[in-house]
Amino acid sequence: MLFLALSFYFLYPTYKDHQFNEEILKLSNQQDSAAFFDKNGNDVIKARENRIKLGLDLQGGMYVIMEVDIAKLLTDLAKKQDEILTQVLIDAGEQTKNSDDDFVDVVTAKLTERGLSLKAYYGEIRDDDSKIKKDLKTEVENAIDRAIQVVRNRIDQYGVSEPVIQKKGASRLVVELPGVSNVQDVRKLLQGTALLEFKLVIDPQIAVKVMEKINTYLAGGNLDSLMKSDSLKIVAKNDSLKKKDTTNVTKTNIKKDSTSITNKKDSTVNKDISKKDTSKKGPTKKDSGKVTDTNISGLTDSNGNPLDTNKQLSEEEFKIKNPWFYLVRPQQFQDGTVAWFVRETDKQSVIRILERKEIKDLIPTDVSFALSNKSSFVDAGEKIYQFYILKRDPELTGGVVVNARSNIDPTSNSAVVYMEMNSDGAADWARITGANINKQIAIVLDNVVYSAPVVRNKITGGNSQIEGMANIQEAKLLEIVLKAGALPAPLKIIEERTVGPSLGEDSIQKGLYSSLIALLLVALFMMMYYHFAGMVADLALVFNMVFVLGVMASFHATLTLPGIAALILTIGMAVDSNVLIYERIREELTGGKPLRTAIELGYKKAFSAIMDTHVTSIITAVILYQFGTGPIQGFALTLIIGLIVNLFTAIVLTRILFDIMTEKGKTQINFG
Amino acid sequence: MKFFHNLHIDFLGKRYTFYVVSAVLISIGLGVFFTKGITLGIDFAGGTEILVRFQNEIPIDQVRNAMDNAGITGAEIKTMGNEKDILIRTVEQGEGTVVIDKIKETLTKNISNNNFEVLRTDKVGPKIGKELRISAIYATVFSLIAILIYLAFRFEFIYALGAVLGLFHDVLITLGMIAIFHVIFPNLNLELNQGMVAAFLTLIGFSVNDTVIVFDRIRENIKLYKSEEILTVMNRSINTTLSRTIITSGTVFLTVFILLLFGGEVNRTFAFTFTVGVITGTYSSIYVASAFVVDIKSRQKAGKLRSAAKLQVNKA
Repeated sequence: MLFLALSFYFLYPTYKDHQFNEEILKLSNQQDSAAFFDKNGNDVIKARENRIKLGLDLQGGMYVIMEVDIAKLLTDLAKKQDEILTQVLIDAGEQTKNSDDDFVDVVTAKLTERGLSLKAYYGEIRDDDSKIKKDLKTEVENAIDRAIQVVRNRIDQYGVSEPVIQKKGASRLVVELPGVSNVQDVRKLLQGTALLEFKLVIDPQIAVKVMEKINTYLAGGNLDSLMKSDSLKIVAKNDSLKKKDTTNVTKTNIKKDSTSITNKKDSTVNKDISKKDTSKKGPTKKDSGKVTDTNISGLTDSNGNPLDTNKQLSEEEFKIKNPWFYLVRPQQFQDGTVAWFVRETDKQSVIRILERKEIKDLIPTDVSFALSNKSSFVDAGEKIYQFYILKRDPELTGGVVVNARSNIDPTSNSAVVYMEMNSDGAADWARITGANINKQIAIVLDNVVYSAPVVRNKITGGNSQIEGMANIQEAKLLEIVLKAGALPAPLKIIEERTVGPSLGEDSIQKGLYSSLIALLLVALFMMMYYHFAGMVADLALVFNMVFVLGVMASFHATLTLPGIAALILTIGMAVDSNVLIYERIREELTGGKPLRTAIELGYKKAFSAIMDTHVTSIITAVILYQFGTGPIQGFALTLIIGLIVNLFTAIVLTRILFDIMTEKGKTQINFG
Repeated sequence: MKFFHNLHIDFLGKRYTFYVVSAVLISIGLGVFFTKGITLGIDFAGGTEILVRFQNEIPIDQVRNAMDNAGITGAEIKTMGNEKDILIRTVEQGEGTVVIDKIKETLTKNISNNNFEVLRTDKVGPKIGKELRISAIYATVFSLIAILIYLAFRFEFIYALGAVLGLFHDVLITLGMIAIFHVIFPNLNLELNQGMVAAFLTLIGFSVNDTVIVFDRIRENIKLYKSEEILTVMNRSINTTLSRTIITSGTVFLTVFILLLFGGEVNRTFAFTFTVGVITGTYSSIYVASAFVVDIKSRQKAGKLRSAAKLQVNKA
């Protein structure tokens, strides 16, 4: 009973989601749908998160395996490029096309054939070939990490629900995008080169003016027209439903970016300076976490009155009067700086508003906007992102970055990232940092801000040090980002599969149709052949199906088309177990045993056979799961769950039912 | 209702006849398999494949001409299930996904008044194809080994060997049947893809399932009827489990047959493979797995008798 209740509990969201979808389809005009989402938004999201996940083959979507284009990477890495290298790389490409030989090894061999060594193209003069080879191989591995970061970043911005981005082997990347139909766009998204930029964060006073302009415009009744025209419709389709959460941003634990950037110090020689510097580092750091509760200086609402974030206005009033500040919330810190924050659910709305022509016309041409890569903090279970107002034109682009390295600073024991620039970049960097001391420069990758350190001093020589990261993971991420701009990781698509949504619908329909027919016919046969006991077995069969789907929903397992085949197979196995038991019971009954003993012996004797058959089947399913990909794994997983559940429903559940009956004094049960 | 009650069929007595039947079936099947071959699906062969659905029925020659004009020669073009769904497959890889784009462009340009919708596209690089092939072989071999070990542990080694031999038999027969059906009914679009590998592994699971149930009864009966000949015990076991065998195989057959009929194009390869597998899996439990054990056991016994006789002769 408990299991059954649990299964229904886990399956309920699936049913609910289905219901919501039907209701959404029924809603024709937008007023209705807006009202519907206002009312049910939360429930719809929840149901969607907890339903049984459908595989790409069932709901349509895109499955891509990409591989780091090692030949291209090696071309980029080479000290000099000439015809020999190009030819060698092409040859190596041909040779590795159908073999498992390591690309770097092949290149080395080919160079040796020509009487050259790796040293001619890579590494330092004093390095020997084996070290260079090792370094190159590490570069290949690092490249995939960068690629993953870049791809994840872009997919998040594109707004795909439930994407899967996975590293596979040393140089491959698997991307699964359910529900995506615009193949061309996505492909560009996946393969384009990452753009790293250093952009100046605009002076808060100017930023405030810009934001006020937008706010005033939107408060003048323009928000509705902007939102209504397309966004709600898209929202309804995109899973990214707007959650109407009325909690305000609580004013505790707010963390804005508190990193700073300085000249790189040689920690062994200048220990003192380094120490002094870190202790002095940033009032920002000290102040993060505390927000002044007073009016934000100079910021006015749409009526020109000073903006008050204290709750003098109710949430709704505030929203109507200051729609933009409702979406992008200003917070002032004790040091006088203002930071802006956007809730995750509002992200898409904010981006969409900023893309409108009317808004673009409002803002100065040299201003652009970007969001932080990760949530600055979490409020009431919701991620909050920092919103940056930046100079449109980058001060520098990532091409000048030669190297980046994350480390733990031995003196301060905190995470730091060292960044090295080439000589051209270093000269510009010195000028830029010199002119912007105590201002923030944002490190932007594909229009997402990864860090916005405060410039502490003029950085000459091209070696910078970024500090203030929360931990080494954060520093590592920044290192990857800096390198992604410096050394792109070229990717090529080696496998791509797309399934259109209509094929998925077709398949679901046919799969469910045949499962149901199978279930019905089998159930009918069992009743005819075993009479009352057959009905008990049928009951167990229904429970089995409910349990399997329940377990899948609770594990967030994916149902694929072969998974439906596995369900049908589970029906077969479930029936088999009951047949085995019933045949035994019949034998015992024919032998003249009383009902209770016959049942007991039947179950006991059939047990070893049932156990052995299930174990062997589970073994093959596990192996299948290990070696298969995508849909096939779905088959194996569904089968494994089905077999384990069946051990319970066929052996335990039916037994309990029979025991209850015999306990109640029944001496006759019709086994046909 | 009862089927097959109180049967006393001498199944294993006729085993030599069925050895011949199996051998003939396997040779014909494999003969066709090796001469005609079966289509390697895109998963294993690599290449580019696109399935489109046209608004209206379309003569396949029109599509073929369009492709030829665009210089995509040697593409395999066929209908899938109905005259609107067209599958185009080519071994060409191209960089990235240029081939798919080219095909789509060609169809848009050359076939007017008949819009199409892309149902599915697949591009598999040669390396991936090879890797999938290798993992399919690994999967099959490893599951056979795993089953051999488990059964050797639960029964005797001879039984485990017999069961695995039965599995080989099933895989070979099914492979042959697929080859034969592929030649006779090319419209079934049977091809060796990942789905078929899944079907083979499931078939292995099912077949060993059936064998285990017979063996389980033999294990039990050998203890009960110690004085009886092994052949008699085994025949008795097969007879008593026959009713279960028929019911189970019948219901499983029914379910996969329904999948074959109504499951659509995508599940067809799986369903067909498994439908054949259910029949041969049931048959092999008796005439390969059990028969093998009988032959080995009686030979062992004969050997023992002979050595015992020899021993007596020596003593004398």
